[in-house]
Amino acid sequence: MSKNTVLKIDDVVMRFGGLTAVDHLNLEIKEGEIVGLIGPNGAGKTTVFNCITQFYDSYEGSITFNNEDGETIDLKSKKVTEIIDLGLVRTFQNIELIPDLSIIDNVMIGAHNQFKTGLVQHLLSTPKVRKEEKRIYDKALDVLAFMNMSDLKDQMVHGQPYGILKKVEVARTLMSDPRLIILDEPAAGLNDSETDELETLIYKIRDEYNASILLIEHDMGFVMNICDRIAAINFGKNIATDTPAKIQAHPNVQEAYLGKGDDE
Amino acid sequence: MTEKTNSTITKNTIITFFKERPWAQYILFGVLLSSIAFLPQIGVMRNSTMSIFALIIIYTIAAFGLNLLLGFSALISLATAGFIGGGALGIGIFLNMGLPFEVAVLLVILSGIVIGAFIGILSLKSQGIYLAITTLFVQEILRQIYTSVGIFGGERIDIGTITILGGIELNRFNFAHRSIIFLILIAVMVIIMIIFRNLIKSRSGRAFMAMSRSKSAAAAMGVNIMKYRVYAFIIATVFAMLAGVLYAMYYQSAPTRAWTLDLSLLLLAMVVAGGFKSVFGMFLGAFVVYGIPTLFLEDIFGDVSEIFAGLLIILVVLFYPQGLIHSGPDIKKGFKKIVGLFRKKEVTQDE
Repeated sequence: MSKNTVLKIDDVVMRFGGLTAVDHLNLEIKEGEIVGLIGPNGAGKTTVFNCITQFYDSYEGSITFNNEDGETIDLKSKKVTEIIDLGLVRTFQNIELIPDLSIIDNVMIGAHNQFKTGLVQHLLSTPKVRKEEKRIYDKALDVLAFMNMSDLKDQMVHGQPYGILKKVEVARTLMSDPRLIILDEPAAGLNDSETDELETLIYKIRDEYNASILLIEHDMGFVMNICDRIAAINFGKNIATDTPAKIQAHPNVQEAYLGKGDDE
Repeated sequence: MTEKTNSTITKNTIITFFKERPWAQYILFGVLLSSIAFLPQIGVMRNSTMSIFALIIIYTIAAFGLNLLLGFSALISLATAGFIGGGALGIGIFLNMGLPFEVAVLLVILSGIVIGAFIGILSLKSQGIYLAITTLFVQEILRQIYTSVGIFGGERIDIGTITILGGIELNRFNFAHRSIIFLILIAVMVIIMIIFRNLIKSRSGRAFMAMSRSKSAAAAMGVNIMKYRVYAFIIATVFAMLAGVLYAMYYQSAPTRAWTLDLSLLLLAMVVAGGFKSVFGMFLGAFVVYGIPTLFLEDIFGDVSEIFAGLLIILVVLFYPQGLIHSGPDIKKGFKKIVGLFRKKEVTQDE
């Protein structure tokens, strides 16, 4: 029983001037899968994320996304702001939150696209606006409860410890009823117990939100533990895509990280 | 003893009532401010003093628009004075064309939307200091237009008696009428306060903050940055032009030379001194930056009062960079200390 594909990256090339950051890359993610994207610094991992989420739209090749109804959507036909409507949502390597809003307000921004009311209605705060605001607020409460952060909801983001900020970013992605969550270095800067907690959380998200997960991470222990499959890339090219155990043993991967093994 | 607990309970219910309902706070504030309208009637206050408060209210309304740009959207506009002038002169022209007051106001608001959208689209091309320069020249162009284009009448457009709601005539030379106009100003300010708060606590308010604090996160969450930038400028422009309408209503004449960069910068100072993102801070800022110098310092220091006004603003910015509105807890602490000193004395005396 092969599962449905969620995301398919097909022969994608992304150039910046003379530099080829992503070079004929292929990757497929299936429903319910946790896939890791690894590679040395500068291998083009974040560029891949930016291509998927259409922050860069001048890539060659195709990136397609299969929605819940089984339709295949060419992501290039979507604007960067329309990506979240598909249930494709991401976090950032450097935390991108609003420091002077409370945690729950930050989480609510993840549901920006689910509002039906517009500017004039907001100015007048019509009953419809208040009803909608309440609905999204309650949804955010559920998400925060899921993340075990309910007690922090009214605190400002500014001044929170790093681990909390990372969790707020993940909570924000959950507001969009995600089908695929893209995590850019979710464990970076976390201590051991926080990393363990993140691991449980990612499994929990996969199971309860039925979401697939694609993540970049340098913490190899974490990646090897959590991922169903790992794609290793270097200089934008695929080196190998396989199960963690096989990736670990793969000679080309070792070479990419440690350099060539010939000591002449 | 029971009486005392009862009164504390009522006091607490009143406090929670207002804490949970910010609109009630604004209305209460408006009601308190309304007392100023009656003071000249009973001869306690000069009419000119009420006029200073009228200008404070007018500036407060324009400051709300600038606050949305500066505090929430991290955008800057140095053309606020130009837009206030546009509102004042615009309503003057429309009224002199013989249009009813309400229609004229509607036309001013519509032109505010168009001009705001235009500036917003201009702003898409420039950021930070470049946006400041762009709007600086918008301001200069507007000033030039007002003073040199014939339809603005050279020195000023005289408006005279205003007829509202199809029959109520208001003339500023009738002191009772002037007080009524003052009350209308307060009512509009309270409405602006309420809708401003509605806006910033809504999805749109969060979108303004998202686009200014983190562009990438805003884009990934589906916030259309272009749209919200244009929205921010539309609202700021409409607020400023409404302030201009109220100016024309109160003074019943719209000057052409008053809408200079100086005033734009003064409005900027009001927003900064009052407190970014704050509602009451806008009134406080207008009161400190314009009100205190004109109400008190001019009497004491005469010609050099501007120096003190400048010093005052510098001190405010130095000690309350977040705005004077955040001085509240410090004042409370100081007050409690003083009260505490007196209480201690009482206790020792009792013993």
